[in-house]
Amino acid sequence: MRNRIREQRRQRGLSQAELAAALGVSRQTVISIESGRYLPSLPLAFAIAGFFDLTVDKMFDPDDEEAGA
Amino acid sequence: MMSFIPPRLRKPGIYALAGLLFSAAWLVQGGRLWWVSIVAVIMTAYQVVRLYRVGGTDTDEGALAGSRADERQQLVSLRSRALACNLAAITSFLGLTVAIALRASWGWPFLVTFLITGYGYLLGLGNYGIAEEGTPDDADTEPRPRSPVSS
Repeated sequence: MRNRIREQRRQRGLSQAELAAALGVSRQTVISIESGRYLPSLPLAFAIAGFFDLTVDKMFDPDDEEAGA
Repeated sequence: MMSFIPPRLRKPGIYALAGLLFSAAWLVQGGRLWWVSIVAVIMTAYQVVRLYRVGGTDTDEGALAGSRADERQQLVSLRSRALACNLAAITSFLGLTVAIALRASWGWPFLVTFLITGYGYLLGLGNYGIAEEGTPDDADTEPRPRSPVSS
């Protein structure tokens, strides 16, 4: 499942550690989600989308099996 | 229950308690092997310090040791424990089978372990799965017999 977290994070000039702190998860979890190795729970997916002012379907694309760019 | 204990001290605390109980058992049983209790205390102290230090690192292992794991890290821990229980069940089954074939008297610990892992699995199904299924509330979506008036 492709996601736009890395792209959005870089647009805002945030580090993985800063995003992790804002979401209340570990830096390793942000890395895993960005690379597509871990699919977040629904509450965390909503938290991520809300943080970037996007909807969940804009942040995560279920039709693409590739990891986030 | 443990909320009054700082997260980083929880796992080391549990480990210290278990280690002290284990060493006390060696001390209480007396005999020539009482010195094992001293070895157990030393090993426990080493592990407690190691756990506390690991708990301060920025790694998955550190998050688990420091009781501050997020959802992915908790999932990793859960899968690891499930794997450990699977291995325990398989090992106990194989041990029990070999003990039966050899008519050995040492097979009962394997039987106990096998029964505990099996019962634990059923307990888990009862607590986390089957008990929460509830009753279906979509009965109105079932196909209804057609009324001759409406058809």
